Amino acid sequence: MTAVYRKEMRSCFTSMTGAVAVAVMLFVTGLMFRYYNLYYGLLTLHYAVSNSVLIFYIVVPVLSMRVFAEERRNRTDQLLLTSPTGITGIVMGKYLALVTVFAIPVIVMCFFPLIMTRFGQETLKWDYVCILAFFVMGCAYLSVGMFISSCTENSIIAAVLCILFVFMTQMMSGIFTIISTGTFQSLLFLLALAVLCGLLMFFMTHSMLTSSFTAALLAFICMLAYYFRPSCFSGRTESVLRILDFATHFEDFAGGSFSVVNLLFFVSYIAAGILLTAQSLLKRRWS
Amino acid sequence: MIEVRHLTKYYGEHAAVDDLSFEVEDGTIYGFLGANGAGKTTTMNIMTGYLAPTDGEVMINGHDILEEPAEAKKTIGYLPEIPPVYPDMTVYEYLGFAAALKKIPPRMREEQIDRAVMALELGGTADRLIRNLSKGFRQRVGFAQALLGEPETLILDEPTVGLDPKQIIEIRDLIRELGKTHTVILSSHILSEVSEVCDRVLILKNGRLAACDTPANLAAARSGKGGLHVRSDGSEEAVRGALAGVAGVEDLRIWQDGGETCADITTAPGLDIRRAVSRALFGADCMILGMREEKETLEDIFLELTEDDLQEDAETEPEDGTAEEISRKEEEDR
Repeated sequence: MTAVYRKEMRSCFTSMTGAVAVAVMLFVTGLMFRYYNLYYGLLTLHYAVSNSVLIFYIVVPVLSMRVFAEERRNRTDQLLLTSPTGITGIVMGKYLALVTVFAIPVIVMCFFPLIMTRFGQETLKWDYVCILAFFVMGCAYLSVGMFISSCTENSIIAAVLCILFVFMTQMMSGIFTIISTGTFQSLLFLLALAVLCGLLMFFMTHSMLTSSFTAALLAFICMLAYYFRPSCFSGRTESVLRILDFATHFEDFAGGSFSVVNLLFFVSYIAAGILLTAQSLLKRRWS
Repeated sequence: MIEVRHLTKYYGEHAAVDDLSFEVEDGTIYGFLGANGAGKTTTMNIMTGYLAPTDGEVMINGHDILEEPAEAKKTIGYLPEIPPVYPDMTVYEYLGFAAALKKIPPRMREEQIDRAVMALELGGTADRLIRNLSKGFRQRVGFAQALLGEPETLILDEPTVGLDPKQIIEIRDLIRELGKTHTVILSSHILSEVSEVCDRVLILKNGRLAACDTPANLAAARSGKGGLHVRSDGSEEAVRGALAGVAGVEDLRIWQDGGETCADITTAPGLDIRRAVSRALFGADCMILGMREEKETLEDIFLELTEDDLQEDAETEPEDGTAEEISRKEEEDR
């Protein structure tokens, strides 16, 4: 793991991607801090951090798009996967390198509240919770970005998918307002999800029988539940889509109310991203 | 020792490797031969743990590559078809990374890297970026990486591709030298190289094992007839008359070539009739201008064993240019 971590850190800064990502983050967060706190005199970092979230549209694809996609394209993954270092070590080494690069500007951000204490500000805890929320959300994005990169050998496709994912998760609260939440619409939405599950399973297993059976079983359970208790479908669409709602969880978290639930939400994305990346590498060996 | 048992690998509906079983003995150099698409690279990738088989198992020095990958991989040095090098690293940095990846203790890394650099004569390029190296040097860097960790087994997928003739000879010598202390499995399209370097040959056909033996045994087993090619200054009739009377001649083909009379003589395998032929021609006042024994080469054996393969490739996959690719590669190799 250490070998991969060191190599990845080195590669981040020799290929300029790391330097660009750090520079962009420092520029945008510094600008926001200057604008909201030093110019407008707001007492908390909340607004500066919330408005800095837009840098994820740039930083996440820049850092994560090449992590595995380039290895695959250059066939250097053969060196990694035939070495005694296990897949977990490879994935963790790469992920920790991404997190380290991302942590550099976040550490600089940690000085912002200290600067504000010079002006009599007393919301240090709130500010650091804001920064923690920002850091954990960034780590969750990087984890998912790494997984996306492991699914393709084209860095551009990985970058586009990363941007799409950031967009979806940031705009999900807005998307709720245009989606009808009636019980029948919820049933249709869940049926569509069942079909999607079946399709995903087909792409992963190439077994038409298993995937069709799974999709049919899920659809049957949904219809059965709808027939006996349609009321339980009320608001179901929203509750499913809320899984993708990073913005609301971040706002709850960065709003000053540190909650384990919100922390766990992002931590579970980090864990899922790492796990799925390892599975994606393993799956490629079998396909 | 490497044991491959009932190895099968399917890509969709296509069986790239089909129920392949063989054993690789310690301290032997094995040559992996087969037409393009015969399953050589897939088999090597499965043996090194890069790919997983659909069925079957691979035991590397007593460790199952799927059950105990770390132990098995520690004993293998692998040079894939495309050397897995990072263009943005210098040769030393790359080898340092590969050494750390192979979990070589830090105190032994420098010594092993220096030894690999010396063996592959990379000293002059050690501080250069791999991006700026020629294909031949990249191949050598990939080879050096395979030597790190003192693996018991070396698996080399076309190790001399992209090298100039001098480098090819050097690498052949190195492989021969390594073969004294390591088990080496190498795939190559250069048949002369395989017959020169390898102790045993494994020929794959359609993902199955077509033959596994020493080149000499293969030639002896497949050689139905012996042969002799003679050039003489006598007339066609005189040569025919002289040779027809030689004991052991089973078939005779005579033709004129540039004012000389050529004769292809077929005999029973292992029968040496050179003295009798000389005496007969001399007696008929036909001077011998040249004589050579026709032996079945590895190329003949390979073509014979993989003939259907090549034909099928040409018939079923013309869009991939497989047959063309083979002839092009053969030409390049020559």
